[in-house]
Amino acid sequence: MNIKTAFSVKPEPQEAVADIQSQLKDFDTRLIIFFASSSFSPDLIALGMEEAFPCAETFGCSTAGEIVTGKMLTKSVVAMAFNKKSIKKAKVEVMDLDKESKRVFNSFQRHFNKPMAKMSPKKYLGIILVDGLCCKEELIMDKIGDLTNVTFIGGSAGDDLKFEKTHVYANGKSYSNAAVLALLEPATEFSFIKTQSFCQLPKKLEVTKANEFTREVFEFNGKPAAIAYAEALGVSIEEAKKRFMHNPIGLVFEDEPFVRSPQQVKGDGMVFYCSVKEGMELSLLESTDIIASTKKSLDEAEAALGGISGIVNFNCILRTLELGQKGLSDSYGKLFDKTPTVGFSTYGEQYIGHINQTATMIVFK
Amino acid sequence: MAGKIKQMIDTIISQRAKDNAMLAGVIKTKLMLKGIDPGKFTPQSPDDPAVIGKLEILMKEL
Repeated sequence: MNIKTAFSVKPEPQEAVADIQSQLKDFDTRLIIFFASSSFSPDLIALGMEEAFPCAETFGCSTAGEIVTGKMLTKSVVAMAFNKKSIKKAKVEVMDLDKESKRVFNSFQRHFNKPMAKMSPKKYLGIILVDGLCCKEELIMDKIGDLTNVTFIGGSAGDDLKFEKTHVYANGKSYSNAAVLALLEPATEFSFIKTQSFCQLPKKLEVTKANEFTREVFEFNGKPAAIAYAEALGVSIEEAKKRFMHNPIGLVFEDEPFVRSPQQVKGDGMVFYCSVKEGMELSLLESTDIIASTKKSLDEAEAALGGISGIVNFNCILRTLELGQKGLSDSYGKLFDKTPTVGFSTYGEQYIGHINQTATMIVFK
Repeated sequence: MAGKIKQMIDTIISQRAKDNAMLAGVIKTKLMLKGIDPGKFTPQSPDDPAVIGKLEILMKEL
């Protein structure tokens, strides 16, 4: 086994780290990704993980719930360890979100001795973990996408629904208003899953007035956004507010929705968890079966790769909440009981762009 | 003038994807998320300076 997971529900950071260290004591850990509940001190958990694995690059973030092989957890730390046979090379960098991103890419280029623009997306993969309250994920993903064809996938850090402060961790330190980017050269094949459980309804909403930086939409189809959204659903605005999770909207490209979840009605406009741009034509979506669609995606990935040795799952907090409301959290966890898996409940998911109500996953052969 | 946007989109896709269909799909998706729907532009589409500006930034990064 070249990828191994560990987790701890011990409440003190030092105890949790020691617990994880003991579970990985016979493993030649060279890279470790970990996700920790916001109940842990960010500085202590970051430092503890770094000191526990001195021969490894360590990175991770705070969460709104954790996922580990077969389980959905809270108030825990979950970790995935890679040895030399699973990851050939890795470089972890921290991006200050108020500064230029090129420094990080220059560092990757030096480490791998290759320009990012020339790196093959089949050979390299990027992981991004970003402050979940920064509201800058679209800008970061847009910039990364301009600079390289390497796929960066990840999630926005959480804080157990307190919406106060989220943290990303890299090599012993904790950061806010920052993103951690890891560029990996896996030794095995890998692929990605982007799965969301929605069908597309025929109603279209064209964004006619919006502020993409504040994620506000003022008008759909030339009408106040909240009114147009409620009309598309055929309900009152008050009723429409209750349908946000069940009926988000999506930018649909070749039948693949990139979900934008409504957060609130503001005046007669709407605020989303993800930006939308003027001129975009969006579709009204309706939720379907998370368990069935996730299982289908996992089965397809396994068939395509001919087996899976590890999964990193960035699962939207809204999916986690829906699973909880429907009593399906255990069933979701069990989808991952045969394969070493870690993940967390995110405040946003990244894959090509920034999206909502989606699970993005890295799947290692 | 017309058709410049379609031409720029085709150039970006061909230079970055280099005949890789999967990569071409990813690049089209990136354009969609930037608010530029590649399927909407034809050789007859007017040269919208705002769209051309976005595409010029992308071409500079190549």
